[in-house]
Amino acid sequence: MDDNVVSAMLFVSIGLGTLGLGAFLWGLKTGQFDDKNKFLDGALHDSEDDLNVAKKMQDKQNKVKKDI
Amino acid sequence: MPLSNNKIKCHHCHLEFDSAVMIFESIDNKEHFFCCKGCQGVFHLLKDEGLDNFYEKVGLKTLHSVNNTINDLSKFDLPGYAKKYITSKDGLNHISLIIEGIHCSACVWLNERILQVCDGIIETNINYTNHKAKIVWDPSVIKLSQIIEKIQSIGYDAYAYDAKLQEERTNSTRRDYYSRLLVGIFCTMNIMWIAVAQYAGFFTGITQGIKDILNFAEFVLATPALFYTGWLYFKGAYYGLKNRLINMDFLIASGTLCTYLYSIYATISQTGEVYFESVTMIITIIFAGKYLEVLSKKNAVDSLDSISSSIPTEVTVIRNDAKFIVDTTEVKIGDLIEVKPGEKIAIDGKLKTGSGCFDESSISGESVPIYKKLNDNITSGTICIDGVVIYEAISDFSHSMLQSITTLLEDSLTKKPKIEKIANQISGYFSLMVLAMAILTCIGWYVLGVPFEDAFIISISVIVIACPCALGLATPVATLVGVAAGAKKGILFKSSSNLETMAKATTVVLDKTGTITNGTPDVINFNQNKKFDLNILYSLVKSSNHPISKAIVKYLEQKETTPKEYILNDIKNVEARGLKAKYENHVICGGNIEFLKQMNIQCDLISNKSIFVFAIDNDIVCSFELEDTLKTGAKETIENIKKLGLEIIMCTGDNESVANNIAKQIGITKIYSSMLPKDKADIISQLQHDQKVVITVGDGINDALALSKSDIAIAMGNNTDLTVKVSDIIFINNKITTLYDAIKLSRRVFKTIKQNLLFSLFYNFVTISFAVLGFVIPVVAAVSMSLSSLIVVGNSIRIKRIFKDG
Repeated sequence: MDDNVVSAMLFVSIGLGTLGLGAFLWGLKTGQFDDKNKFLDGALHDSEDDLNVAKKMQDKQNKVKKDI
Repeated sequence: MPLSNNKIKCHHCHLEFDSAVMIFESIDNKEHFFCCKGCQGVFHLLKDEGLDNFYEKVGLKTLHSVNNTINDLSKFDLPGYAKKYITSKDGLNHISLIIEGIHCSACVWLNERILQVCDGIIETNINYTNHKAKIVWDPSVIKLSQIIEKIQSIGYDAYAYDAKLQEERTNSTRRDYYSRLLVGIFCTMNIMWIAVAQYAGFFTGITQGIKDILNFAEFVLATPALFYTGWLYFKGAYYGLKNRLINMDFLIASGTLCTYLYSIYATISQTGEVYFESVTMIITIIFAGKYLEVLSKKNAVDSLDSISSSIPTEVTVIRNDAKFIVDTTEVKIGDLIEVKPGEKIAIDGKLKTGSGCFDESSISGESVPIYKKLNDNITSGTICIDGVVIYEAISDFSHSMLQSITTLLEDSLTKKPKIEKIANQISGYFSLMVLAMAILTCIGWYVLGVPFEDAFIISISVIVIACPCALGLATPVATLVGVAAGAKKGILFKSSSNLETMAKATTVVLDKTGTITNGTPDVINFNQNKKFDLNILYSLVKSSNHPISKAIVKYLEQKETTPKEYILNDIKNVEARGLKAKYENHVICGGNIEFLKQMNIQCDLISNKSIFVFAIDNDIVCSFELEDTLKTGAKETIENIKKLGLEIIMCTGDNESVANNIAKQIGITKIYSSMLPKDKADIISQLQHDQKVVITVGDGINDALALSKSDIAIAMGNNTDLTVKVSDIIFINNKITTLYDAIKLSRRVFKTIKQNLLFSLFYNFVTISFAVLGFVIPVVAAVSMSLSSLIVVGNSIRIKRIFKDG
């Protein structure tokens, strides 16, 4: 087997693994695993109405940020 | 009133009630029933706010019926409250709340929604799992009391907790450790399959080109494992050196670093074998043990959070006939403080007006509430059970009982002796010895005429082979397995070093209430003199919250499967003595003998236990004997521990006759009774002075001081925050039998550690002597490294079998 093939295989497999690990660590750092029920249960209460409220909330936050 | 069986569900809370008591309302030509005004109010509020699709989301689940008590919310706006719980940033306030009454995700949705549409609230985030909320708001638009009012208006309740205090901190350490462990595991798993190729290549032949590639890949993987996951050990070694102490961390750090550097050298110079995989594996396995420790600490803090929020921050002070809510730290000696039923006392004082029962179990361990009248002393940490009382403060907050115990504890915590220091010293000497030997080897070979480079490589091989593979793993792996096996049995070790101390223990000091006994009285004897309707008695005792009444309620509920509650009139609660009421035309009363004498009823029962006598129209119909009963398995546990050769001492705040009685039942001969918290601690100190290693088991604040003094402190699972903080081990399942398991486990682990150390020292001795002589060929080093670790790990895993044999 050519040396280059081995190195390419190693690079790709470890690289992919690192990507996955990186994504997981990022999720951990941003607190995505803190609340195991939020994403499952939250999906039950998703509607246009909720989206509008979320948008208003965002506007409120942006306004406050601007004021500062 | 005849009861019909026509049950209807409340439209808001979905609880079923009799149709006669429901509030009927017709809205939009539809029939609606409500169980109370509170539920009706919330229903209308949600409808007005356009949130009535909440009911679709809830489905058929039932909620709490809304209890619209009007609380005084002004305390939320006090500066003392703000100082404790609110943090300000950029003109915005942040707070962490625990929301009570949440049943399902729809409740979370409703709470978030009602807060989101509210002006001035910038951010809300409610955790679906533990119902803790983080809220950010603009204090110039809305006040905290208004936010709480919003939550209360829809039928929930909220109180603040101090997030920075405990949970957040442990949470962030845990997250940090978790990331580091993940990186370690990732690197180990990947490096191992590369290492398999290396090993195979060693035996079947491999081209230098491929070997270089594999070496480089291993290098890439080992680097983050060593410096990211293993950072803790470098830090530990650095602080150790700063204090002129060579510790275990130093041994791990120097060993792995030397191996790592040597492997880089081997890669570049294309000579010899690399040991990147050993570096990664050692770091990861040892780190896993550390992570488990952090995890068990987190568990301990979890149970503590809601309790610590119950410690009062404000008291009601009466000045010039007006009531003020004042921060506890601002109360001065001589202030008059009002206490309502259910409140916890924050400041010591003398009772001035009124009278009531106080639950002193957290201070004295006495399970029966004590009746207090004019000029009686009131101690902080006790709870007022009934009666509104006004008392005069005789000390300020920082000098009150509760606070001074806490301060004493903090002092003693820092002075706690640690046996692990000795273990660290031994490994320190070992690593010094290895370093010295390596340097001597290098000089020796150089003097003998070997080129410096070769001499240097040989000396590095000494360090590499002595690299604390087995030695470094000997303790952590054994304790790791031990801690994990313990957790399955409900034993939570806060630090793995506790296992070692525990194995060496010679004396066990037990608290009585809550440790050996259940802590609440149980009916042990029931005498019925005349036939009567037991339901009358049931209705009477049900109206009181006294532990004795509760015990009788429990007994009757077991005896009669479905006791009925009658409507009683003129219920009078005579504090700490008994209850009196009218049922139809009969006068009924129940209480202790003193109470009956007071009612002019002849009673000639004598017992050394608590007695409850029940009389109808001055005629005694039945009596109960109650006693604090032993926990299941208490006797066997004591016997088993005695067999292990430990001395058992019982220490209790209760009086002598109660203590002796329990001790006799359980077979303990050495008893100390009527002990104050400080006396208990003195006994521990005395024992330690006599060269005893003491395990103390207790619950409640009254044991906290003794716990902090002892070598191993064990807290029962149902305890207060203070005990959790000072103890080393927690029995989550609250069983006394666990004590025997814990001692057995710790001894087993300690034995394994000794075996492991002995093996690895012997192993190192042999291999180091080979290395010094320059006989270490690469394959021997590679195999010996893995083999010694495997033997140590395998031996440690055997600990798991301890509970299987019964």
